[in-house]
Amino acid sequence: MGLLAAGIGAGIVALGAGIGIGMIGKGATESIARQPEASGDIRGVMILTAAFIEGVALLGLVICILLALEIKI
Amino acid sequence: MIQTLRRVFLTLLFLSVSTSSTFASDEKAEEPVIDVMGTLADHDYFKFFGKKLYLPRIIYWVDEEGNSRVNTFASTKKATESVLFEERDHALVPTNGGHIVLDLSITSHLVYFWFGMGSAVWLTIAMSNRYKKGVGKDVEPKGALHNTFEVLFLFIRDDVVRENINEHKANKYMPYLFTMFMGITFINLFGLLPWAATATADLTVTATLAVMTFFVTQFSGTKDYWGHIFWYPGVPTWVRVILTPVEILGMFTKPFALAIRLFANMLSGKIMIIVILGLIFIFAEAFGAIAGLGMGAIISVPLTATLYALKVFVALLQAYIFTLLSAVFIGMAVEDHKHDEEHYNAEHVA
Repeated sequence: MGLLAAGIGAGIVALGAGIGIGMIGKGATESIARQPEASGDIRGVMILTAAFIEGVALLGLVICILLALEIKI
Repeated sequence: MIQTLRRVFLTLLFLSVSTSSTFASDEKAEEPVIDVMGTLADHDYFKFFGKKLYLPRIIYWVDEEGNSRVNTFASTKKATESVLFEERDHALVPTNGGHIVLDLSITSHLVYFWFGMGSAVWLTIAMSNRYKKGVGKDVEPKGALHNTFEVLFLFIRDDVVRENINEHKANKYMPYLFTMFMGITFINLFGLLPWAATATADLTVTATLAVMTFFVTQFSGTKDYWGHIFWYPGVPTWVRVILTPVEILGMFTKPFALAIRLFANMLSGKIMIIVILGLIFIFAEAFGAIAGLGMGAIISVPLTATLYALKVFVALLQAYIFTLLSAVFIGMAVEDHKHDEEHYNAEHVA
């Protein structure tokens, strides 16, 4: 049961993070195409935001690992 | 062409030999085919080219009569031989009752943490001596190491620290943030060595680093910073009732996310490589040695090689992100907000 939950959870985590980072990438490429001179600033903000989303996703992933390995805290 | 073919053939031969030998030992021990967590866990030995060097154990414990005792042993084996402790589920337990209060043993992750931080300190001091002699200041920097160092240093100083921290105070935080960046980079890169352990794939290590950032942030907080936490300016009082707990919580969630991010990134990279290489053994067990060989040659080994290249990039990227976010948090804490003046002006103009 824990394994099933971990598997489904990991899938949902990947889905959410993928949508989020995909939207950041979309926004960044669009804004760089519109304003190439600001690409440095945009890249910095993009990495920062992606890191925040990744942080949430990895938090979910850690919980999935705990579930799958049945580690009790 | 012939040489390439020979090389591929030798690799395959080597793989088949190592597959069968690993197999034989696994069946004897009756353990799972791949021990993923065992590879990732902290060990009491330091592995170097297959040889194990056992590390000392320092244990602060309370014995069965309630006396606090500190015992040091040269290795775990010595500890069990002394009859004071016995090993249960890979953990030391006092034989005659009592419990361990604090286990200050030196472990493989700690050793690699020291290696990483030591390398960072060594590199920085060596380079600063060069600058003092005038190399890089009066003339151009010489050598690949010096040039790489200068690129990294200028990148951190100009694009990370001065960008995010108030320019009058940026130089004060530069040593801390650069030590973090170089240290984490070295620890991450040490983890890529085949026999080494990734210290940053351990939550205790990343939590220690994040706690340092937490304290630096709080101790450098200005009056404005604390004002924004406990008495948010420019909002009605009932909003402050909601905002103050959220802001106090935010103080702790920031370093927590910092620790989890670094830990999970390094851990997931490591698990991915172990699992993809483990597919060889899983296929060999399920469909025979030939299937395992094919799996290794076609999928696992090329994919692992690509992942390794990606991991070098991730090692640098995670160190950069840790440093960047630390700089952002510190920058938010040291900023002298001009909000109140703006509100004042706005009210007076209106």
